[in-house]
Amino acid sequence: MPELKTEHSTSRLAAVLRELAVPLVSVAIAAIIGSIIMLIAGFDPLAAYAAMFKGAFGGGRQIGETMLRSTPLMFTGLAVAYGFRAGLFNIGAEGQLFMGGLSAAWLGIVLAGMPRPLNIILMLVAGAAIGAAWAFIPALLKAKVGAHEVITTMMFTYIGRYIVSWLVTGPLKAEGQIPQTNRLPVESTLPKMHEMLPFLTPSRVHLGFVVAIILAFFIWWVLKYTSLGYESRAVGYNPWASETGGISVSATTIKALCISGALAGLAGVTEVMGVHMRLFDQFSAGFGFTGIAVALLAKNNPIGVIAAAILFGGLSAGGGTMQLEADVPQKVILIIQALIIFLVAAEQIARWVIGWTDRRGATEHAG
Amino acid sequence: MLADIFTPDLFASAIRMATPLALAAIGGTICERSGIVNIALEGMMLFGAFMGVIGTMYTGSPWLGALIAMVSGMGLALVHAFASITLRTDQVVSGTAINILSLGLTGFLMEVIIGHPGTTDPVARLMPVFNINGPTEGVLGSVWRWVDTIVFSYTPIVYLAIIIAVVGQWALFRTRWGLRLRALGEHPRAADTVGISVIRGRYSAVIVSGALGGLAGANLTLEQVGSFTENMTNGRGFIALAANIFGRWTPAGSYLASLLFGFADALQIKLQLFRDVIKIPSQFFLMLPYVLTVIVLAGVVGRAVAPAAVGKPYEKG
Repeated sequence: MPELKTEHSTSRLAAVLRELAVPLVSVAIAAIIGSIIMLIAGFDPLAAYAAMFKGAFGGGRQIGETMLRSTPLMFTGLAVAYGFRAGLFNIGAEGQLFMGGLSAAWLGIVLAGMPRPLNIILMLVAGAAIGAAWAFIPALLKAKVGAHEVITTMMFTYIGRYIVSWLVTGPLKAEGQIPQTNRLPVESTLPKMHEMLPFLTPSRVHLGFVVAIILAFFIWWVLKYTSLGYESRAVGYNPWASETGGISVSATTIKALCISGALAGLAGVTEVMGVHMRLFDQFSAGFGFTGIAVALLAKNNPIGVIAAAILFGGLSAGGGTMQLEADVPQKVILIIQALIIFLVAAEQIARWVIGWTDRRGATEHAG
Repeated sequence: MLADIFTPDLFASAIRMATPLALAAIGGTICERSGIVNIALEGMMLFGAFMGVIGTMYTGSPWLGALIAMVSGMGLALVHAFASITLRTDQVVSGTAINILSLGLTGFLMEVIIGHPGTTDPVARLMPVFNINGPTEGVLGSVWRWVDTIVFSYTPIVYLAIIIAVVGQWALFRTRWGLRLRALGEHPRAADTVGISVIRGRYSAVIVSGALGGLAGANLTLEQVGSFTENMTNGRGFIALAANIFGRWTPAGSYLASLLFGFADALQIKLQLFRDVIKIPSQFFLMLPYVLTVIVLAGVVGRAVAPAAVGKPYEKG
């Protein structure tokens, strides 16, 4: 998965294209299998994909919705990707996201009346901190007793969801019948992007999209140029050699999973501050889990996460139009997502399709 | 109040709740003993639960439904086996893909076959095996009430799970098949050298775990609930994996660990009936099995040793 060596700049473009080939072909194969499933179920796949595309990129509003839906996926995609780079599978990004959302819904009310830029910064920092905190116990258990993070972070997801469910039906519940928190005051929300880019009107995309992209570049820089990033990658690549080389595997594991948790927490913060302006039980459409697909499709490259998140954001934004116009259940998108994960991971299939039977290339990337 | 909580029904409910976990956990045991991690048990259980209902709906027989559930679990297992053994894909990633696939497939088929999302109509269920008319009066009556509830009140798959745990324990440690299976997970190279087919052995272990995962799903829908709801497994596959670890990769241990989780689940359901007395929000009871899983993992993992070659793809050298 992680690669420590850097390519020579002369072959760089070719290398980038080679890197892109497998994900692109995997997406294409997944789309084809998706259409076969639709055909068997008696739907018209061409009409479905056409409606999906229209719903995702058909105009300013649609593009804005795609950006909106890709925003949490960038955060969770970065979260999962950072974990993978350090050899950790943060399957519980969803739980960290819930805790981030919870902190924003609470803090946003507390900070009412304060200046907006201050609130935005404080709420983002707090959400990242609580996301990291939610990953800390699984991280500690992984580092100290070897408890598999796939099980522990998953369990913390359920625990986090029940805590949110309790708070929105009880202590933090707003007046009225609906189990939700009070609406955030405007100074605790993220500005809409159509205020700056009118062609996106009337989409709901907010400043979180820009924050996510900046963060993606930041994480790319951290991984590539800082000792923190180097240690994370080294531990992910070969923990035994790293330990011998003087890197503390357990400390790096804890740091990496907490960073991953912080990134996932931000997804919850921006969803609450930018989309719903409040917290309720179902505020996340499984963004933490889709983040896994995003990270894998991006091959854990932070810049790739941007593109993969936009693809999945588009699938999700177009899914509604597809269901409405082509009558195909939106759940087919989950199937396509699963197929993409599968195909990117089992990249021999895509390579075989491309015609690269070069065995050396296949084994080099499988490790 | 304690007498109201610790009724024979609570213990019977614990055994019922433990059943899907135990079946999946034993599936995990067999799979991991062969060297393959099976995160996909959650998805296999969910798919089995759904196909069990669909099968019962079309055949009219919950027995056939249960069989179809097992075959469906095996189908997903075959995908996992192909990915992790033949293609040598990362086993955890392949398992995750199967979990998402199962979630999408059951939701999609639900809308195609049933016509709406959410929950299916109830179908015919597997009924309790025994129906004995014991004494009802006096001391004998109350003793019989305990015995009848705790021993004789269950549906077929609940008994089957106990049989599988016992037979599985014996087979894993007392038969040639078991020795060979364990060799695959501890030292595949050595197993290969003495003529055991690593590929075939691992394929069959993964497929057996799929059958058990599917059967666990059938227990949920065809015995416990009687209908299918989207994502109804709700993390049970992951709890089952923790039970397998707590049970130290043995079928009997997996069953006993599942009993602990089943008891936590039964207790939280029971305690919710006393909400007005206990005054703790229901969400804290619902959390209990998940919190317990983390505690169990924190306490035992350091001392429990996984099969040495688990998670590592085998390449014939």
